Amino acid sequence: MSTMGWEQLLFVAVVTAVAAPLLGRYLAATFRGGKAPGDRVFLPIERLVYRTLGVDPESSWTWRAYALAVLAFGLVSTLLLYAILRLQGVLPGNPAHAPGISPLLSFNTAISFITGTNWQAYEGETQASYLADTVGLVVAQFTAAGVGLAVALAVVRGIAGKARTIGNFWQDLTRSIVRVFAPLSIIAALVMVSQGAVQTLSGFRTAATLAGGTQKIPGGLVASMEAIKLLGTNGGSYYGTGGAHPFENPNGFTNLFDLFIVIILPFAILFMFGRLIGKPRQAYALVAVMAVIFVAHTVVSMQAERHGNHLLPASVSQAASSVSPGGNMEGKETRFGPEGSALMTVGTMGTTAGATDSALDSYTPVGGTGAFAGILLGEISPGGDGGGLYTILVLALLAVFVAGLMVGRTPEFLGKKIRAPQMKLILAYVLAIPTTVLIFGATSLVIHAGTSSILNPGFHGLTEVTYAYASVAQNNGSAFAGLAANTPWYDTTLGLTMLIGRFAPIVLALAIAGSLAGARVHARTRATLDTAGPTFIAFLLGVIVIVGGLIYFPMLILGPIGERIVG
Amino acid sequence: MRRHLITSVVMLLVVTVAFGFCYPLIVTGLSHLFFHRQADGSLIYRHGKLIGSALIGQSFTDSKGNPLPRYFQPRPSNAGTGYDASSSGASNLGPSNPLLIGFVAGVNTVGLNGAPSAANPFATKADPACVPTDPKGNPVTSPAPGQKYAKTASGEYVCDPNTIPERAIAYRQLNGLAANAPVPVDAVTASGSGLDPDISVQNALDQAPRVAAARHLPVSQVIALVHHHTQGRQWGFLSEPVVNVVELNLALDGQS
Repeated sequence: MSTMGWEQLLFVAVVTAVAAPLLGRYLAATFRGGKAPGDRVFLPIERLVYRTLGVDPESSWTWRAYALAVLAFGLVSTLLLYAILRLQGVLPGNPAHAPGISPLLSFNTAISFITGTNWQAYEGETQASYLADTVGLVVAQFTAAGVGLAVALAVVRGIAGKARTIGNFWQDLTRSIVRVFAPLSIIAALVMVSQGAVQTLSGFRTAATLAGGTQKIPGGLVASMEAIKLLGTNGGSYYGTGGAHPFENPNGFTNLFDLFIVIILPFAILFMFGRLIGKPRQAYALVAVMAVIFVAHTVVSMQAERHGNHLLPASVSQAASSVSPGGNMEGKETRFGPEGSALMTVGTMGTTAGATDSALDSYTPVGGTGAFAGILLGEISPGGDGGGLYTILVLALLAVFVAGLMVGRTPEFLGKKIRAPQMKLILAYVLAIPTTVLIFGATSLVIHAGTSSILNPGFHGLTEVTYAYASVAQNNGSAFAGLAANTPWYDTTLGLTMLIGRFAPIVLALAIAGSLAGARVHARTRATLDTAGPTFIAFLLGVIVIVGGLIYFPMLILGPIGERIVG
Repeated sequence: MRRHLITSVVMLLVVTVAFGFCYPLIVTGLSHLFFHRQADGSLIYRHGKLIGSALIGQSFTDSKGNPLPRYFQPRPSNAGTGYDASSSGASNLGPSNPLLIGFVAGVNTVGLNGAPSAANPFATKADPACVPTDPKGNPVTSPAPGQKYAKTASGEYVCDPNTIPERAIAYRQLNGLAANAPVPVDAVTASGSGLDPDISVQNALDQAPRVAAARHLPVSQVIALVHHHTQGRQWGFLSEPVVNVVELNLALDGQS
């Protein structure tokens, strides 16, 4: 990597290291109960919402009631978004006269945004009306983010709390949106606009170009969608090419700002967790694991993209210099260069955002594997808003169990014993996503409906397909975009994969939390495993690599590794 | 469950009013209050007429799609037919795709000495890597037995002009560079958006003599203009040094 690449990485790391604990403190104060910062502004709004909903915000529920509310809200949200997409042709706010979206594509897109996946099988610029974008999709981006954070709060209460109940979904959802996502989104959107991101109600403007042609320049409410797309770890863009589009991501500053606002909340939520359970060291340990994975897979990709594509003729200069970015520039913007592109694109792959500023399909095999690794390791570097926390907690429980087996003691986490009922749920959690990915991925490779969508031949085509399923199962939503994914087969199976990938972990995490809620907290003894020390950090990293690596290794051999060796 | 469903419907209505309508309008209002030019798309006007955006690249070709020598040329583009701002897009070609690299990796990577061979029957001296096109002009990457290919009058295969080796050849021809002169990688690869307004400084410097000749300007004057329009690294490390092609060409038009 070049000095500039390291400087960019260091810059993001330092800014995050300063901001995340501060934001974590705010989150902890907000969700601890009792007085919270900004009550004067937020409390009246919240009370109004509770009154409209007719709910008692102070009642606390069992995990079953909580999970049912999450599922009910998911169902209703999906139906409403489906209706908007189907009917956009006859609804107002459609200056470009986009017709209603087909049933299967609407099914896929509605699920995609409700689950926070933001897999975009439709064309951003042409297929979605303004109303569908700003009302349907942006609202879904706010609720998906809010649901993620709410579930994480409930899981923390169950795993660490003394009560048998785990909180109130409507209160958690309302507070998350009102006190976290709304104010942060407004600030982030204005920062982006100041740099050149577009935010206008006007549609296409026609320009007479210098060479005597015409160009239709798009408008749209871009920055407001970008802000929640990134802060909410959603990933769905206004324009088809996302963060590569100069109107979404105009310069080097916005490029890193985009990455920053993707990872800031998942990290902050970890710090919040440490404060809520009164054990900040535990949070630091989990943050360390996340940071190591983040840096590792990002650096691998940055290095590979800087190195370039060795299959190009030698006379095409890929060497970086002060007058040329060099590197693998296919699918990348000149202003970001190979390293800035890889940092932003691959950096978001360890979250559920999967926002990209470059074409992943054109990454070198090693560079693409760096992106893939973020997804396959379970998206915990640092994960989605909320999802990152409950996923790493489940993996920590698994690691505690494996460690317990090694030393022959009943495993404990935060003083609570992990027994057979919890382990069954944990294993179901760990296996749900890989099973779905491998079954659908393998099927797609042997049926015509699956293979006919592949753009790039050979090993790379296999990567396109398996990447799609892994990406949507983890609610990441980034794509090796060569795959023509808007077909009945892919719309349906990817839609189902997203549903499983979102709601199976949520229900299982809540069930684990419910089964631990109210369990006796044992005092620490000399024989208790320290789950915040360096040994446990290394051990947890090992468990994560083994769980992610071994399950998917054959797939990686047939995909990017094969492409690298044979090419 | 029924109560949850009803509450969900009400909640969605509340959120839709707040974030479907109020939120974007608040952001739009504040944006135009403080950053009107940016929020509007950084549009450029000349004599009161809209000529484009400083952030969106443009094509500088004639009506047949041939590059105009008097303008600096942007990067290849996959947005529509080229810099179509209403349909941003990338090639999405994998790094080993023959349509990108000009040969089938692992098959005819050998024998590229410029002479046709069993491994690479389409090669010529001038063009050792060639993805042949069929009579309809579509590139063919996996030849089938007996398949017909388009040929020129002199009997040579017609190659897909959009592979990187072909683009490099075309770039050298346009700019009068030697047959093996290095070509900056950004000049022969398409960007992720297809709307990249920038090129590398090296790319601009390579094009400067041609532009100067086409405009009957001294080369030094054009090179000075390139340097004047070079944007260095933002904050010293946030971005690559670039030259904005739209702004550079606009300035050129102002000089001659």
